[in-house]
Amino acid sequence: MDERDGQDPLRDLGQRLDRARRAREHNAPSSRGGAGIPQGALGLALRIGIELVVAVIVGLGLGWLFDYELGTRPWGVIVFFFLGVAAGMVNVWRAVVGMGSAIGYRRQQPPPAAPQQKGTDWDDED
Amino acid sequence: MATENPLHQFTIERLIPIHIGKIDASFTNSALMMCVAVVLITAFILLTTRRAALVPGRWQSVTEMLYEFVANMVDNNGGAGARTFFPFVFSLFMFILFGNLLGMIPYTFTFTSHIIVTFALAMLVFMGVTIIGLARHGFRFLSLFVPHGVPKVLLLLLVPIELLSYFIRPFTLSIRLFANMMAGHTMLAIFAGFVTALGLFGVLPLAVDTALVLLELLVAVLQAYVFAILTCLYLADALHLH
Repeated sequence: MDERDGQDPLRDLGQRLDRARRAREHNAPSSRGGAGIPQGALGLALRIGIELVVAVIVGLGLGWLFDYELGTRPWGVIVFFFLGVAAGMVNVWRAVVGMGSAIGYRRQQPPPAAPQQKGTDWDDED
Repeated sequence: MATENPLHQFTIERLIPIHIGKIDASFTNSALMMCVAVVLITAFILLTTRRAALVPGRWQSVTEMLYEFVANMVDNNGGAGARTFFPFVFSLFMFILFGNLLGMIPYTFTFTSHIIVTFALAMLVFMGVTIIGLARHGFRFLSLFVPHGVPKVLLLLLVPIELLSYFIRPFTLSIRLFANMMAGHTMLAIFAGFVTALGLFGVLPLAVDTALVLLELLVAVLQAYVFAILTCLYLADALHLH
């Protein structure tokens, strides 16, 4: 901005604010799931380590509760055990593949950017 | 005496017994450490930004780095519109971070090593995110559990799996933090017990313990980070419904 030193400083500020805002909206969720960010690798490893175990335990717990309430022993435990294993695997798979922990198989599409108001231009004199 | 119970450090002590009806609402050492963490965080941020300058000094830049770190995390993982929830994520991150780090000071109590504390935090996130999702999208929020472009027959199998993997979230979130903190501190105490028990050879476990302290410091920061980043990812799900 040195070369435009003669300009109105407020207008310059407005342009820079616009640019910063646009940059924030554009690069919004580009690096989800940690697959692309190296410093997130250790975080990712710690994240998924426990996912599978807890899923199975919660599945078993729910199955047991189901049986306890409805007296359907042992079917609840059996069904929920396999559901827990499946859910755990799905969670781990998603964390690794980088679809985030998104539920649902839809591929990550750029989320609807915040509606661009036209009125946010400070420099609307030309 | 040399072999003190390594789990002794997790004992809850009632400092000021308070009983309201049948509820035991005593002020415990755990509650004390939480208050210390909140007071320290507030004091740290207020003091370092009291004389805020355009060119930040050392302390001010620490606070600014923390702020920008969390702000970037929220923007990158939460997507558009997630900035609204920045104060919540920042508070959560700082609270867990200070809780973990304060626990590293000898003779203090690590409140994040108790599952009830981490589970309460995780439920706060889980219920908050679910309510936000329902408020933003109404019943369309439930489409989160219906995989896209899958034969109808498979839905019978997939919807329960999706539901389960959604309701597992508060459990994984809380158990991850609690297990890491508790395992680390127990390990430190066990090796410290060896130091006095082995006499001269105690130098070896002492060296191990020194390395473990460094590892634990890393884990303390990392677990706060993981908790915060997962909060952002869950928020993104509720906000954008992909």
